[in-house]
Amino acid sequence: MIRSSKLTLATVTALGLAAAPAVAADDIPVGHLAAYTGPTSDVGTLYGQGVEDAIEYINRNGGVNGRKIKRDTVDYAYAAPRAISTYKAWISQLKPVFIQGWGTADTEALVRFVAQDKVPYMSGSYSGHLTDPTGKQKHSKNAAPYNFFYGPSYSDACRALLQWAKQDWESKGQTGKPKFIHMGDNHPYPNAPKEACAEYAKDLGFEVLPAIVYSLKPGDFKAQCLTLKESGANYAYLGNTAGSNISLLKSCETVGVNTRFVSNVWGFDETAAPAAGKAGDGVIFPGGTPWWGIDAPGMKTMREISKLSDPTGEKPRTLHYMRGVCSVFFMRDAMAMAAKNGPITGEAVKNALEQMRDHVPAELEGVCLPHTWTPESHRGTNKVMLYTSHWNDGNPQIKHLATIELPQRDDWLGW
Amino acid sequence: MSLSADSMRCGEFRTTYKADTTIFPTPTSRNFAIAGVIALLFVPLVFDSYVTNLLIQIGYYGIAALGLNILVGFTGQISLGHSAFFGFGAFASAWIANQGVPVILAIPLAGLLTTAVGMIVGIPAARIKGLYLAIATLAAQFILEDFFNRAEWFTGGVAGSMAAPLTLFGYSFNTDQSYFYIVVFFVVVMYLAGTNMLRTRDGRAFVAVRDHYLSAEIMGINLTKYRILAFGVSSFYAGVGGALFAHYLGFVSAEGFTILLSIQFLGMIIIGGLGSVMGSLMGTAFLVLLPELTDGAVGLLNAVVPGIERGVVYLKEMAIGLAIVLFLIFEPDGLAHRWKQIKAYWKLYPFSY
Repeated sequence: MIRSSKLTLATVTALGLAAAPAVAADDIPVGHLAAYTGPTSDVGTLYGQGVEDAIEYINRNGGVNGRKIKRDTVDYAYAAPRAISTYKAWISQLKPVFIQGWGTADTEALVRFVAQDKVPYMSGSYSGHLTDPTGKQKHSKNAAPYNFFYGPSYSDACRALLQWAKQDWESKGQTGKPKFIHMGDNHPYPNAPKEACAEYAKDLGFEVLPAIVYSLKPGDFKAQCLTLKESGANYAYLGNTAGSNISLLKSCETVGVNTRFVSNVWGFDETAAPAAGKAGDGVIFPGGTPWWGIDAPGMKTMREISKLSDPTGEKPRTLHYMRGVCSVFFMRDAMAMAAKNGPITGEAVKNALEQMRDHVPAELEGVCLPHTWTPESHRGTNKVMLYTSHWNDGNPQIKHLATIELPQRDDWLGW
Repeated sequence: MSLSADSMRCGEFRTTYKADTTIFPTPTSRNFAIAGVIALLFVPLVFDSYVTNLLIQIGYYGIAALGLNILVGFTGQISLGHSAFFGFGAFASAWIANQGVPVILAIPLAGLLTTAVGMIVGIPAARIKGLYLAIATLAAQFILEDFFNRAEWFTGGVAGSMAAPLTLFGYSFNTDQSYFYIVVFFVVVMYLAGTNMLRTRDGRAFVAVRDHYLSAEIMGINLTKYRILAFGVSSFYAGVGGALFAHYLGFVSAEGFTILLSIQFLGMIIIGGLGSVMGSLMGTAFLVLLPELTDGAVGLLNAVVPGIERGVVYLKEMAIGLAIVLFLIFEPDGLAHRWKQIKAYWKLYPFSY
């Protein structure tokens, strides 16, 4: 038993030397946890490409005060344990100043680690649990001082959807209590806004029905659709990513469900609309940026960034891609701010982020939403843009429906 | 002709039972083993944490794999639920430690809790065997997996639970370098205990049950007792392995303990050698290092075949499948057997007959 490990040591050493990332002394190490495979790869690849392209763009255009960002991308296949072991390997080898992360399960599991190691963490998870840096608010489970994300939280997006649903209900002259239902996998990501949103729904006068569980992996969801049909829900919140939601929408079309579907930010997009076909007509989803077709000053930069992985420059990008780009630019700005006062350390970058007030990265004016982070609140924005998809006889169109501004409430932090 | 104790031997010269069951056949092999363990102690000082991390993985998976080998390789039962026991040990240790018990005690306690669960799951083994037993253990796998997802008080539900780092006398073993020594300690203790157990009356009973259950019963071996006991011992190892994993990672989540890991455990002992203590560790090392080797190979190939890096995740999975198939065809007795042949070759060289 011992000899075998001695034998393998030689191979391992050789590998270890090969695998150690080569960081030039001047580079800023940044970890990038991506989900290019696994159950959320449908949107994970779109977002991850945005992160990679944006970093590449920054490096080609002067870096951060002349220093290049050294990115180490690891595909963790949406498996939380793999994310944690990657993180631990980074801490001992890469020593990242910043991490661009992804899922809710892994981000929430890493909250304490990143706080301890002082590594600011920008996640693709917009879980409301990450918005309270102090951990003192009524509903927050623990302090998340080093966690940030771009855009409205899942809970805020769901609240905005509820506000819209209430207006919709009233504008149609309906009486009685509208029925609201939460649908999603039994997983931290779909579960994140579940309680907060149900609570707000009750406040707004909705009747909240027991949740329906459907898998993050696409499948045949007719059984769930029949339950939904029987429940008589008027508005259903979809907590999963697009791939899973498309199969749910299709199953529900077959079964003949009459519910209006509202989705979370990863649950529907420009590419999902044609795939869902007629079943996707009228689905409402939140976004954190205006969409690709818009004419904004920052779109010029955005198109330049997009060309890095699409030389033709013709490919329309999704909202996910643009959010990935925005996340990186906020990180860059924070690093640049930190560099003015001393070395770029995790703590300095975190403090810089917390000094941003209605901040927008200069090149992306009109594309990235203004964000404000403070030492008491990591709820970067409370503005939610709602989009809807029109089937339009086989030529689906995404339209901006409304922009809803939610109140600043302390008890909503960390929830 | 007189033979000194450590001179070269060219055959079997065992004249007592004691000599027959000795762990190390020659003093040289014993010295090698001791020197090996001592050499291991220097690994964290010499190598970076990448190497240490891989060795830690080999350590905790190796302990669990030995447990499965005792059940499958030595007792002839089959289990498709080993990863569920591994997971149970991980959650149990995290839970016990969160109640305020020192982690160093939580690890063996978690092993004992897992033993209890394993023996309950093993009860059907008293009546059924072969494929039917495989399906019964498969049921245990699914039941436990669902339990992990729902028992929020115990596992933290789908969000998982945090496992405190191991602390002894105020020193926290929260780095790869320090935790490595904990793992080495457990590996040595568990492997010595396992080897010794297999030399006892109970260990021989396990082998008798495997070789021919009817003969064993006629010889007075209580089949029910030993079959369930095998499940218990196997689960203890899985539980301790899982607990070490939990406190190493610092976080336990249900998604890691699927049937896939159970199959990987089976792969480890098949590749290492069924019914071989040393093989369990060799097989584990093989399966832990294989994905890393694939990574390295893909890195080299990337220059020749651009874009192959994108497929590295799939290649890793395929490599494991391929390795199992190749071993089943060309080396069904596993790495341990191959190692013995290599030793025999050099021992008898150049007169191998």
